[in-house]
Amino acid sequence: MAQIPNLDNAPLNLTSLREQSQKELLNILKNIRGKKCLVIDPKLGSSLSSIIQTSLLKEHGVELRHLSAEPLQTDCTKVVYLVRSQLDLMKFICSNVHDDVSKGLQREYFVYFVPRRTVVCEKILEEENVYNLMTIGEYPLYIVPLDEDVLSFELDLAYKESQVDGDTSSLWHIAKAIHKLEFSFGVIPNVRAKGKASVRVADILNRMQAEEPVNSPDMVVPEINTLILLDREVDMVTPMLTQLTYEGLLDECLHVNNGSVELDASIMGLQQEGKKIKVPLNSSDKLFKEIRDLNFEVVVQILRQKATSMKQDYTEVTTTTQSVSELKDFVKKLNSLPEMTRHINLAQHLSTYTSKPAFLGQLDMEHTIVEAQSYDICFEYIEELIHKQEPLVNVLRLLILFSITSSGLPKKQFDYLRRELLHSYGFEHMATLNNLEKAGLLRKQESKSNWLTIKRALQLVVEDTDTANPNDIAYVFSGYAPLSIRLVQHAVRSGWRPIEEILKLLPGPHSETKRGRFSSSPSYDTLQAPANMDKVADGRRSLVLVVFIGGITFAEISALRFLSAQEGMAYDLIVGTTKIVSGHSLAETFVERLG
Amino acid sequence: MANVSVAAEWQLLGDRYYRKPELYHPMQWRHIDLSRNKVACAPFGGPVALIRDDSKIVQLYSESALRKLRLFNSAGVSLSDVVWKNPGGRLIGLSWSDDHTLVCIVQDGTVYRYNVHAELIDPNLSILGHDFFDENVVECVFWGNGVVCVTETCKVFAVPDFKTRTVVRLADPPPPPSSELELELELPHCVAVIEPQYTLSGNVEVLLAIGDGVVMVEEDEVQALPVPPGDGPLQKMVVSGNGRFVAAFTHDGRLAVYSTRFEKMFEYQCESALPPEQLAWCGLDSVLLYWDDMLLMVGPSDEPVRYLYDEPIVLVPECDGVRILTNTTLLYDALDHFDRRSAKADENLRLIRSSLPEAVEACVDAAGHEFDVSRQRTLLRAASYGQAFCSNFQRDRIQEMCKTLRVLNAVRNPEIGIPLSIQQYKLLTPSVLIGRLINAHQHLLALRISEYLGMNQEVVIMHWACSKITASLAIPDAALLEILLDKLRLCKGISYAAVSAHADKNGRRKLAAMLIEHEPRSSKQVPLLLSIGEEDTALMKATESGDTDLVYLVLFHIWQKKQPLEFFGMIQARMLARDLFITYARCYKHEFLKDFFLSNGQLQEVAFLLWKESWAMGKNPMASRGSPLHGPRIKLIEKAHSLFSETKEHTFESKAAEEHAKLIRMQHELEVTTKQAIFVDSSISDTIRTCIVLGNHRAAMKVKTEFKVSEKRWYWLKVFALATIRDWDALEKFSKEKRPPIGYRPFVEACIEADEKGEALKYIPKLADPRERAESYARIGMAKEAADAASQAKDGELLGRLKLTFAQNAAASSIFDTLRDRLSFQGVS
Repeated sequence: MAQIPNLDNAPLNLTSLREQSQKELLNILKNIRGKKCLVIDPKLGSSLSSIIQTSLLKEHGVELRHLSAEPLQTDCTKVVYLVRSQLDLMKFICSNVHDDVSKGLQREYFVYFVPRRTVVCEKILEEENVYNLMTIGEYPLYIVPLDEDVLSFELDLAYKESQVDGDTSSLWHIAKAIHKLEFSFGVIPNVRAKGKASVRVADILNRMQAEEPVNSPDMVVPEINTLILLDREVDMVTPMLTQLTYEGLLDECLHVNNGSVELDASIMGLQQEGKKIKVPLNSSDKLFKEIRDLNFEVVVQILRQKATSMKQDYTEVTTTTQSVSELKDFVKKLNSLPEMTRHINLAQHLSTYTSKPAFLGQLDMEHTIVEAQSYDICFEYIEELIHKQEPLVNVLRLLILFSITSSGLPKKQFDYLRRELLHSYGFEHMATLNNLEKAGLLRKQESKSNWLTIKRALQLVVEDTDTANPNDIAYVFSGYAPLSIRLVQHAVRSGWRPIEEILKLLPGPHSETKRGRFSSSPSYDTLQAPANMDKVADGRRSLVLVVFIGGITFAEISALRFLSAQEGMAYDLIVGTTKIVSGHSLAETFVERLG
Repeated sequence: MANVSVAAEWQLLGDRYYRKPELYHPMQWRHIDLSRNKVACAPFGGPVALIRDDSKIVQLYSESALRKLRLFNSAGVSLSDVVWKNPGGRLIGLSWSDDHTLVCIVQDGTVYRYNVHAELIDPNLSILGHDFFDENVVECVFWGNGVVCVTETCKVFAVPDFKTRTVVRLADPPPPPSSELELELELPHCVAVIEPQYTLSGNVEVLLAIGDGVVMVEEDEVQALPVPPGDGPLQKMVVSGNGRFVAAFTHDGRLAVYSTRFEKMFEYQCESALPPEQLAWCGLDSVLLYWDDMLLMVGPSDEPVRYLYDEPIVLVPECDGVRILTNTTLLYDALDHFDRRSAKADENLRLIRSSLPEAVEACVDAAGHEFDVSRQRTLLRAASYGQAFCSNFQRDRIQEMCKTLRVLNAVRNPEIGIPLSIQQYKLLTPSVLIGRLINAHQHLLALRISEYLGMNQEVVIMHWACSKITASLAIPDAALLEILLDKLRLCKGISYAAVSAHADKNGRRKLAAMLIEHEPRSSKQVPLLLSIGEEDTALMKATESGDTDLVYLVLFHIWQKKQPLEFFGMIQARMLARDLFITYARCYKHEFLKDFFLSNGQLQEVAFLLWKESWAMGKNPMASRGSPLHGPRIKLIEKAHSLFSETKEHTFESKAAEEHAKLIRMQHELEVTTKQAIFVDSSISDTIRTCIVLGNHRAAMKVKTEFKVSEKRWYWLKVFALATIRDWDALEKFSKEKRPPIGYRPFVEACIEADEKGEALKYIPKLADPRERAESYARIGMAKEAADAASQAKDGELLGRLKLTFAQNAAASSIFDTLRDRLSFQGVS
């Protein structure tokens, strides 16, 4: 099965979006004649794997390499660098070129920046005296569709860069990406934003519309009705919790990367010792589409049922005489066998992980912290994790959760835990602590926590959650409703106004604007009662684009899909995100590896 | 009826009808004698340039001895004039280039260029350059945007494009055989040029009539062309508009038409053996010859047509005919391609019912070719009458034509003076026409036409605004701004930046600043603000835009221009700019970044930088472990420590740095004493564990005391370290040293993790909490003991959970195992 997801059922025409990106990349390659070495920065490479098949690149006379500080090994005289406009990547390019020069190798260099060339990157090439050896170009890849309903801007460092370094380049990128969508699907008439970055993106988006207007003909209804922008900063609690949906748990345990996981072949029941294989995970896999968003407990049951029913069918086929059409049905079912086997293998691997006492203890503690009633127990638990030198990122996840729900730690304990961390993991993590403090994720207590108020007002903890027949998004964390998705739920239903008091308790400002020709029409006010306008011509529901600035977790995506599938829901929801994240990957961006 | 006279105007030449309508009569100019002047007429009804011919002796009337270059439109309306005082000798030739630049070439090879407002365009171009400064140009032939010059020593130069302004010297033609005897070089009898667009090589080809023959000269090649015997020497040559034929006047009074490879197509014996003053192609089918008072039109067959003139004329070839300029009239000769039927189309319309659609079509066509407005009207009226009887005639044809004619009539107006034919108009395209109108400062008409044709008005308004700025030196900035904004507002999306840049170029910096304020595109606005020195505003606008690339642009600009301290001051209060600067500098300009932090007193940031550098130094292979190079590292960390201690808020960091320095020292000592390079850069906890694993308990204890490691941590570390080396005796001894401050749980966990149930059992009973006991038993699979402990705890919930875990774990794993077995039938897996 291909890793490139099938987008035919997407509520927006994402296929054309992806084809455009494919074409642009191939054109770049076509325009550089002859054999060439394409050097891609590794992260971009994994983003591109959701856009284009490697074989297609090779057809265009391309030898593929990953960008690194190591000298470039190739016989090609033409070298094409395809890199994100990141400062640290420039060093690698420069050292490659310097190495060639010192060896007397004469090559033609092309540098294509993704998504656009920037003054600061070119400045570095200039200062390193390699600028005049290069032809500079751009590959305007702003959006990568990861699935039918998920778009990624592939900005994995966005959160850290804007929170710690104050570098808000990603916000411009996000606005540009949305503006690009508007060129295809019309100006989005309603924008709701919560959080500093989100309000800023809404502002930049409006500027872009003023500078370079999307001219949509008056009578055409825009395909996207509402844009909801949400800062990750608004809800850092949710991602720090262990995800309990099938896809979320796969991510926690095996780290899903751009729609696939890499794992030992033995887990998949293959007899190749030590070999790694890549398993694609997207909605092209019908069974996965069915179970990805369910609570893992339920997934195990469903798989068991399916296996049992197939076993029964098999027995019937072998023991009784059956009509041809019955046999046909059976063979059809057999086709789903590889998918079944795949997920049974994966689920079994997950359950060895979830049955560990450490895992259960972790879940228990997460809920205790969210409940925010037993401060000392939580503190001692974390202290012990540090003393036992549990993996740093695991510790940081809980610590962040703890600091946020208690709005910081009292000075004495703050200093104590920091000291224990430095003693246990090394003084280089002074920088890590500094990053977390700048981002407000681990800090000294300065005011009383309002977490309890928020938790209560938004009904974040739901008792008696039936994970098999859920009636609330809380099923994704077996009893905790993700704060972020609660906000989306309100924003879609009735806008910000009814929950303004609660919004004020969360970080950052919020805004609500009307745009385009709707900006002046007061009658078109709420989303509550979808008028005829909300229906797109062919009977599909109109769309709400929910953008997470700083990343979204799989569990949250599942919760959104759950909302979208609810009766009485007038909209399809699609997700835009800087990157799909987990507590692990988020916390990791703050860790400085100096040693 | 008008149509009678229309038909009567036509003259038959061969199988084609030609006619010669009057475009402008009288010409608006006064007292112009074409015979006294050198004349250049731009094609496509473009402007006319006149200057007194200094190669002729003329009588001066009441006029200045100074010559004037005078520019008119085609109707003779004066556009501008200027006194000619250019050095370089006699004016050899002048011509209009495609973009309506008047190109004048003088004897010494200097090229002077003028716009339609008779303003000299800088810089001049020298064709002969330094190498041939002593030569003189004697002849030049222009085309489109280029020229070929021949010098008195028969060297040939070409400027292929006045825009790129490069001069090419072409190959030298061979000397004619006669010159071997004579001292003086023989100049070519005549010169003609085949434009680059019609040659195979894409370079210009020059035809020179030398001796009895013709040579073709290219950049690096000379080729003799086979002129039919008896024709040479050729007196005059001209290449047809499509570059495929050459018309030439032979030495014995014949007009001959050749292909460009000099295969003869046809010839005509003229009455005079004297070469005509002017020779020109009229369209592609006939050639005009002009002697003193006679104009002869020769076609490929039949008798030529003859016109008599009692005044001098100038022939101006157009794509579909020739304009004839006289002192008093502008005529247009030969709308070829037109047959009689279409000329009388409106009449035929009534007669030929059977072919009505064709007749209507012909009427519309004829109207298009008509210059006279009332006749246009007659023809179109007839067409629209006829159309009513045709079911399938394209209705918008007539509308289209009306539209075109309105444009043509508007520009043909003598005030504008561009007598375009419809064919010329189509070839020229509306946008070029609009370009020409704005060049001639006919902005209003240009605007109306572009509006009428539904074209983008931006070009027109932009040009108008720029011209307005240039022409309005006396108007104060604020007033001029209002005038400009009034018009600029008409066009959405117009580039205020471009207008502003023009204002700046004209020395009106303040106006530029006011204009740029209105530019909505920050990517255009910011660079311009920088170029007019408004760095502060630029930084503000860039920041507002949210485009960090623009902020960097401004940042680097200021950085380069200002002293460091001033630069620091400018960015200090601008958060985004400051943060971006820091991000960049962190990567590439560490020292400069330190200066920045020092300049604003952020000592802790400097400390962090130093601390980071200490790791970079650690990674440096020169500072390999155990070497005395730890010295400089420790120094950096100590410096960081003292900087941190400068501020009260950073006591924690300061202490950490102090401890770090101490740790590296200790680790260095440990490496020396153990002769194992495994300590430096590990954490305090790791150091303790390593010491214990190595059996060096004293060293471990020393680290513990030195860094005041808590008893709790100490117990965890030591228990795990002992379990790592599986020293179970030592572990037991340790458990008995004193009552462990965190109970026996670490001991239990370490044993279970090492899979030593027996060892674990030593400690499980000692666990104080029965629940913990129960869970621990459960972990090593002792269900009964677990249940006992749980019931001892009187915790029903726990008991239930334990039972469930047992049941589920067993069931789950066995179920999965059986499932997998079941599904692996038929080799599918």
